[in-house]
Amino acid sequence: MKIRILGGCLRMFSWGAVLLLTGSVLVLLGYLLVKGVPSLGRELIFGQVDVLDAVLLRKRVFDGLFPAIAGTLSVVLLSVGLAIPVGVCAGIYMSEFATVLQQRVFGLMFDILAGIPSIVIGLFGFSGAIFIHKYVSNDFRPCMAVSVVALAFLVLPYITRTTQASLQGLSIQIRQAALALGATRVQNIFYVLLPQSFSGILSGIILAIGRCAEDTAVIMLTGVVATAGIPGSLLGSYEALPFYIYYISSQYTDSAELMSGYGAAIILLGVCAILFLLAFIIKRQLAGPAGPEPGRFYV
Amino acid sequence: MYNPIKIRVENLTFSYHKTPIFENVSLDFEAQTITAITGPSGRGKSTFLSILNRLWESQPVARMQGKVWIYLDGQWIDIYSRTLSKPDLRRKVGMVFQTPNPLPMSIYKNMAFPLKLTGMADKALVEAKITRALEQAFLWDEVKDRLNDSALGLSGGQQQRLCIARALVSQPEILLLDEPTSSLDTGAASVIEDLLVSLKERCTLIVVSHYLEQVSRIADTALKLKAREFRQV
Amino acid sequence: MTRITQKAARIVFFFSAAASAMAAALVFGFLLVFGFPLIGGGEFFSLLTRRWSPGQGLYGFLPMITGTAAISVLSIVFAFPLSLGTVCFMGGLGPAWISRLLDGFVRFMTGIPTVIYGFLGIFLLVPFVRTLFTSAGSGMCILSASLMLSLLVSPTMIIFFKDGFDSVDFRYIQAADALGADNVQRLIYVILPGAWPGIVTGVIMGLGRAMGDTLIALMIAGNAVHVPGSILDSTRTLTAHIALVSASDYESLAFKSIFACGLTLYVLNALAVIAVRRLGRKRGPV
Repeated sequence: MKIRILGGCLRMFSWGAVLLLTGSVLVLLGYLLVKGVPSLGRELIFGQVDVLDAVLLRKRVFDGLFPAIAGTLSVVLLSVGLAIPVGVCAGIYMSEFATVLQQRVFGLMFDILAGIPSIVIGLFGFSGAIFIHKYVSNDFRPCMAVSVVALAFLVLPYITRTTQASLQGLSIQIRQAALALGATRVQNIFYVLLPQSFSGILSGIILAIGRCAEDTAVIMLTGVVATAGIPGSLLGSYEALPFYIYYISSQYTDSAELMSGYGAAIILLGVCAILFLLAFIIKRQLAGPAGPEPGRFYV
Repeated sequence: MYNPIKIRVENLTFSYHKTPIFENVSLDFEAQTITAITGPSGRGKSTFLSILNRLWESQPVARMQGKVWIYLDGQWIDIYSRTLSKPDLRRKVGMVFQTPNPLPMSIYKNMAFPLKLTGMADKALVEAKITRALEQAFLWDEVKDRLNDSALGLSGGQQQRLCIARALVSQPEILLLDEPTSSLDTGAASVIEDLLVSLKERCTLIVVSHYLEQVSRIADTALKLKAREFRQV
Repeated sequence: MTRITQKAARIVFFFSAAASAMAAALVFGFLLVFGFPLIGGGEFFSLLTRRWSPGQGLYGFLPMITGTAAISVLSIVFAFPLSLGTVCFMGGLGPAWISRLLDGFVRFMTGIPTVIYGFLGIFLLVPFVRTLFTSAGSGMCILSASLMLSLLVSPTMIIFFKDGFDSVDFRYIQAADALGADNVQRLIYVILPGAWPGIVTGVIMGLGRAMGDTLIALMIAGNAVHVPGSILDSTRTLTAHIALVSASDYESLAFKSIFACGLTLYVLNALAVIAVRRLGRKRGPV
């Protein structure tokens, strides 16, 4: 029968797709681990400097990843810190107060922002830096502050969307409980709705952190450099892990440097993978460990 | 009146998410009768039906022990053995749901769907089977002129009769109905009740219903599901 | 809480939302203003069709447009069957326990940074392509970049496809099962027809992601400035072009032209977003 043959082909095709997809990725990751794991260790991050000395900023690390890691950490924390209040408040407005028209228009703008290629956001950040250089202070140049703001633009939609979705997903009973007892809308938001949707919002924040940590295009245009030491001030240059990987791939001078590139890649991959998986797990918890009701046959 | 046994359930124990639903249930269902299953809601009546056509197996957290035998083509078949595939089983044991679920296609395509699954190509034969099933479901006169209209445009009662007709097109020997009239008004419901009684000569029917009057009107036997057991009433 | 705090809170919320919405417009505005010397005066469209040769005063980015198009489309050509096959597998053609593992694996894949794909591409894929196809030169070409890019965008496409599959009204699936459809028949006759909008959305989102990616193209597509003739040619994408030119003097016209590049990318993205929203509107409310 025709359908039997088609079905068999479809089955083979889907198995093939799965094997090809997982196989390719596993080969890549396997290669990365094989090449990179040997270089993991204290020396990769801190070079010749003692761990304590490096962390307490007593001595500069010249041949380790520590400055890059510190740079990435700083820039991520600052930009997410900037994006959270704006994003959460925007999400609250979209979920609780916006009219249908506002939801449509604002929603469209958020979606557009979310889809802008990161290099274009980097370009925007760079143009902002030029603007300030021309009209405010001649000393101003692309620096950590510019990166922080640009990255905040990058991840703002993530936070807004997840906040809005988590709030909108709350059941009607929860929404009305406090109101029926005399709470105002704002009190309801702060005392009931936000705490209830906390895990959803948290997963959005973790997603934003991951997105910031892995980004290379934005920071390339807004202040990251190959060698700058620990980030000293917001108005100075800084190093970052993803940029190090990019830079090393074309500028390595010996095999030790190349190996450090692999090591850096493993660290970055590990951090980002953990963050994204964490965000997903938290979002799953939100769906409830309750499971489907009996009588409903399909999950 | 003595009828041969059509379905035999032996020592059925079923649990869902570690909550026991049935414990050591053994039942026989006589051929060409209507057996009603009543009882408090949420206790497993729908689950029991799904055990008879193996539809519950889509849920991984359920566990079942025991046997279910159905007398088909002159022999007893253990429906959980490999003798019968699930799709084939479901052509012999049809099911109608509480809320009508016509597929998003025309009435004709809905009716032809089960036949398409078996690869039946003879158009004349397909049309004959469809016409006969629609007549058996008391729906033919109402839809014969609009077979190409969308099934979703029918009224609730008509949709439910369509679902019954669609289940009948494969000529099942057993028909399971889960609260078939609870989403319908009394007029539509009574049409379906008459329809079910008329189907007795072709099938063995098991109807889950929480309308006790309906049960007394149409059922030959009634079983009450209470505390994980069935009791005859 | 007093009335004033209520009002204040509401104003804060509104301004946050409005500011966030303005962000997209702000980006557009800056790009427009900075690229103005080249855009004003009707130059923009000639930029789309000219070659890039700063020494001769030619700032067109036609080669980059073809580069972006070639790499993006080819990566979708690779990624579409991979993603659709995977989702069909998860939709019943494969055992349930593998599907669960697969779901987790795909989620994991979304977290792989593109710079890592680029990095591994240089040291693993490019030499492979180089030895396999002798006409590929250094191995840094459209083919290499598309292969890596397809791995990057597959998780995105898989998630959107899966959403499409899951959104099929479960009563239709219930009906198909009860009528004796096996997994393949259910997939072909009920699930795939119903999941079509999700599939189209997935392709658009994947294409958008592919067009917007910088690092993979920058690192393994070769960055040669010419209109490519075959998939084994080196090429430069709009995104890589922006990254490369931004290192030059920012007062130069060459530099200003990349704002036009940025605008092109911005507009392409906005169109994709609008298309996807229209599709979503057809199915039901936002």
